[in-house]
Amino acid sequence: MQYRITHTTKYTYSEPVPVFENKLHLAPRTTACQHCSSYRLMVMPDPLRIDSHADYFGNRVEYFSILNALRTLSVTSTSTVEVFEPSAPVDVDDSPPWEELRQGLLKPPNDAWRDACMFSFASDFVPISTSLAEFAKPSFTPGRPILAAAADLTRRINEQFHYNSRATDISTPVDVVLSQKAGVCQDFAHLQIACLRSLGLAARYVSGYLRTIPPPGKEKLVGADASHAWLSVFAGNAVWVDFDPTNNVLPTQDHVTVAYGRDYGDVCPIQGVFVGGGSHTMSVSVDVSTL
Amino acid sequence: MQDQQQTSQQSSAGSAPLPVGPSPGFLSGYQSVRTGFNELLTPDGRVRPLWDRFIPMIERLQKGEFERRWRHSQRLIRENGITYSPYGDPDANARPWELDALPLLIHETEWREVSAAIVQRAELLQLVLSDLYGPQRLLKEAVIPPAVLYAHPGFQLAYHGLKPDSALPLHYYAADLARAPDGKWWVLADRSEAPSGIGFALENRIVISRMLPEIYRKCNVRRLAPFFIAFEETLQELAGLHSGVTRAVILSRGPQQECYFEDAYLARYLGHTLVEGADLAFRDGRVYLKTLDGLLPIDVILRRPNSEDCDPLEFSADSSAGVAGLLQAVRSGSVALTNPLGSGLVESPIFMAFMPRLCRFFLQQDLAMPGIATWWCGEPNSLEYVVSRLDRLTITEAYRHRGQKMQPEQDIAQVPPHKLEALIRSDPNRFVAQERLASSVAPLWKGNQLVSARLEVRAFSVAHRSSFKVMEGGLTRTTTTDSAVKSDSCAPFGRGCKDTWIVGDQPVEYVSLLTQSESAIELRRVGSDLPSRVADNIFWLGRQIERADAAARLLRTFILQATSETPESRQARLAPLLRALASQGQIDPGYALENMKGGLPDIESAMPQLIFDEHQPSSLRSVLEELSRVASVVRDRLSVDSWRTLVRIDQRFRSMQVASNSLDMTDVLNFVNGLIIDLAAMEGFVMESMTRSHVFRFLDFGRRLERAHQMTALLRSCFVGKHAVTGYLLEAVLEIADSVMTYRSRYLLNLQLAAVLDLLITDETNPRSIAFQLVTLRQHAESLPRHHKEVTLAKHEKLILSMVHSVRMLEIQHFCEPHGSDDQHQLESLLAGLERKLPALSHELANRYLVHTSSTRTWAPKPVLP
Repeated sequence: MQYRITHTTKYTYSEPVPVFENKLHLAPRTTACQHCSSYRLMVMPDPLRIDSHADYFGNRVEYFSILNALRTLSVTSTSTVEVFEPSAPVDVDDSPPWEELRQGLLKPPNDAWRDACMFSFASDFVPISTSLAEFAKPSFTPGRPILAAAADLTRRINEQFHYNSRATDISTPVDVVLSQKAGVCQDFAHLQIACLRSLGLAARYVSGYLRTIPPPGKEKLVGADASHAWLSVFAGNAVWVDFDPTNNVLPTQDHVTVAYGRDYGDVCPIQGVFVGGGSHTMSVSVDVSTL
Repeated sequence: MQDQQQTSQQSSAGSAPLPVGPSPGFLSGYQSVRTGFNELLTPDGRVRPLWDRFIPMIERLQKGEFERRWRHSQRLIRENGITYSPYGDPDANARPWELDALPLLIHETEWREVSAAIVQRAELLQLVLSDLYGPQRLLKEAVIPPAVLYAHPGFQLAYHGLKPDSALPLHYYAADLARAPDGKWWVLADRSEAPSGIGFALENRIVISRMLPEIYRKCNVRRLAPFFIAFEETLQELAGLHSGVTRAVILSRGPQQECYFEDAYLARYLGHTLVEGADLAFRDGRVYLKTLDGLLPIDVILRRPNSEDCDPLEFSADSSAGVAGLLQAVRSGSVALTNPLGSGLVESPIFMAFMPRLCRFFLQQDLAMPGIATWWCGEPNSLEYVVSRLDRLTITEAYRHRGQKMQPEQDIAQVPPHKLEALIRSDPNRFVAQERLASSVAPLWKGNQLVSARLEVRAFSVAHRSSFKVMEGGLTRTTTTDSAVKSDSCAPFGRGCKDTWIVGDQPVEYVSLLTQSESAIELRRVGSDLPSRVADNIFWLGRQIERADAAARLLRTFILQATSETPESRQARLAPLLRALASQGQIDPGYALENMKGGLPDIESAMPQLIFDEHQPSSLRSVLEELSRVASVVRDRLSVDSWRTLVRIDQRFRSMQVASNSLDMTDVLNFVNGLIIDLAAMEGFVMESMTRSHVFRFLDFGRRLERAHQMTALLRSCFVGKHAVTGYLLEAVLEIADSVMTYRSRYLLNLQLAAVLDLLITDETNPRSIAFQLVTLRQHAESLPRHHKEVTLAKHEKLILSMVHSVRMLEIQHFCEPHGSDDQHQLESLLAGLERKLPALSHELANRYLVHTSSTRTWAPKPVLP
């Protein structure tokens, strides 16, 4: 499946902003499941210079500064990504028992395991606690294959939690999400990652896009799509399998990966620092269209 | 899997109880605690050979001489204002540096061994950092478990791969050491983030070597200067990597931090600009210093804040200690930091547990000096061992890093023993256990007698010519309570310290610190850049000096009038002065209003208390506190004498405040008289010692502006309105304006309003007149930097000119007649105009030259799903 993705973020400030510094994770990475054939970043006003490099996980990070006082800023990324058709659906029962992974992560036998190790500890947005482990426990019965257990946890989160964009903000901690049983995709991804890590397993945060399919008989609205977040679970020997608790699916061709990291903090799509500027308003529009 | 930990107890057999009895002379009555190595005495109570020279020389001092010199030194410490408490907080206990009169002596042969061990450790930590921020062989080859790094909150991915291969990850390293009962040295903690203490060590040396000059000379004490020269050379070398013309700055955490004294001290000693985050700008891949002359590129930053506080774009959004973009500048190689970002990783206690193994892995050696035995509970065997010995071990946070509050540790200390095990088992990775070491003891001079104190020595090293150079000296910290000395990253809070003498048998080549540092003179090309923030503070310092002067003079005249025996109605005499006091903000405006006075206590009995009124914006207390605060933030720009004068003002005021309940008008008068002289001394230092740089200009700009403002307010309070102008009032105003002598020499005793106004407003030769201030302001304005393209006058210049014009146009002769309503009007509109334009001028100046540091903010939208 071939996609053209356009992601625009616009800021309007009540007073001129003399200095902006920005850091972006907007370029879709090429993985075993997808290939990004083109990517273009447009910033208005023109920052003259955009620096970029690969971060610790191989995601592309871009930086730009804008110096002159301004009241509006728009950042648009356009990319073309091909998402490959999976050769066969994932068989969640064909995976090692989850306890085996926990054991292996304590003493990683090779590089793949050691790399996964990094995703098994608490991080800024992902705490580890016994209550999270308790919540996960019903899915992780003894000897159950890791992917089957993770899929079950995904289903339970999807069933028990309400999607509510007003329930949380960027700083809402996972345990609040757990207790109020509501949040957005980012919260659900963090929650499931936290559950898995609390059991000693490795899971990473995936930031990306989701193609939306309009209700039957309606036109798809341009710009109505959005950035999305889900997670990826380590199943041993460099095998990572994605789960989307918000939609209770194993992502295949509707999900486009941009970047992955330990949590949102590692792959925040667009973040910045500014001085002054008064109050600001922001609008985001994302369009994922098939080619 | 963890190493067998060597403990200090295993080798502590030699510590016999000390039969310490009264010995004659200086040491008589000294009772040493019985455990731990005694630095001064052998187990049988004799003075160790190392101290053979020192103790007799102390004893040869005349009776009371030691104490007298010590008191003198303590005054020096106070006057130099050496503190490590937050500046500018009048309520904080301003704790002077508790330096002990007696240094700690260590023989140079022994120190050579210590130094070799420090060098080994510094080089080892360098290798560890290079590896963890690079190939991570330590993990690949399973030398350390993954959790040591990956679960470490201080391991920031952004630092990984940040360094070009040639650059070292650690330039400046300190170790906290203590001596075990058998006399062997142990490492208690590593300090690799931004070790503090070299400035304090240097100041300690200056104080003690001045106190005991002859003893200091004869003891062959090794000098500290070579270390600082090496430090400076390293900074220059780092700068040299980047460009031909070099500029190094010291990035401070600001006056609210405990170590600001040291930051300012080092800036002055090494000759670099002291900056804060707000002084830095990131442009086009480089870091710049914002100055009055524009942006100047920075090559090297001597970093004092923690790494994570240096770039709000990459790390904590609420950090303003650095500048957004700093990491990009580092990545592009346009600026070098020392220590480089991320160097603090290895100072967390967890690494102590792995040091023996790391040393064997990288250097194929054993540690030259053992670290205090440390067990990481994340390893199952260690966990069981620790749990079985909880009563004998100290539990701390494994990943603790610098600046992190001691909170977690205190929490741990408060956990009852029976719950401690459960706490550790709930998350073993988080904890390490460390052996408790009874460190060595030495005498401390406490008010005429010696008491014994436990010691810990911080040793400093700096990367120099492909190895490390260790300071021949250090910061010895003491505690008189018998609990182990707790060390923190910064100064020893509430604890004392000693100068540390590395003594030899051969005379030390005589090099005074001054000549030593002068020899590095070519290294000091920078240091004259004036950051806009500093200019702002300097400007306000000028204003505060003048504000204090105006307040003091008005208060003095008021007291003199209030207590004089002249027959004229007191009420009429005091009314205009009360109006002036109220308009200055010294007293409640109610005192100046006839109909409100009833509700207030009698001014005379209230007065001594009113000057301490913190609710009045310009009570003497408020003005002097603000003066201290502003001065302390620009301390590195003030001469030592100016600073001492300020400290004296502060101390005199505080001591008067202590006695505030028993004060009368005469006490206040005495204080105010002294204050006026001290402020005049300040102004003298400024006029006579300050080069005519932008610093001077901004200081004087502030002074002149404030003086014009004060004079305007005074004249308005006294001469505008339907109040009678009496001879007493004219004389009082002349007195406040310090112009009595001038007036008498011109007009003798003939007091007339017109002549007074001429002298105080229009006479451009009188340094107290408004005209004089305005003309001076105009000169300064012309010398300030301006844009090349600017052809017309800038706003602030226009404001000054319009004021000069209005003052020169004043028809003073009209006042010769008993003043009619027209003349009243003319004076009133002139003064009203000035009162409007002077603040506008201040505002314009700030807009043009001085930064408004609004806080930085961050944003990041959250992803939303359809």
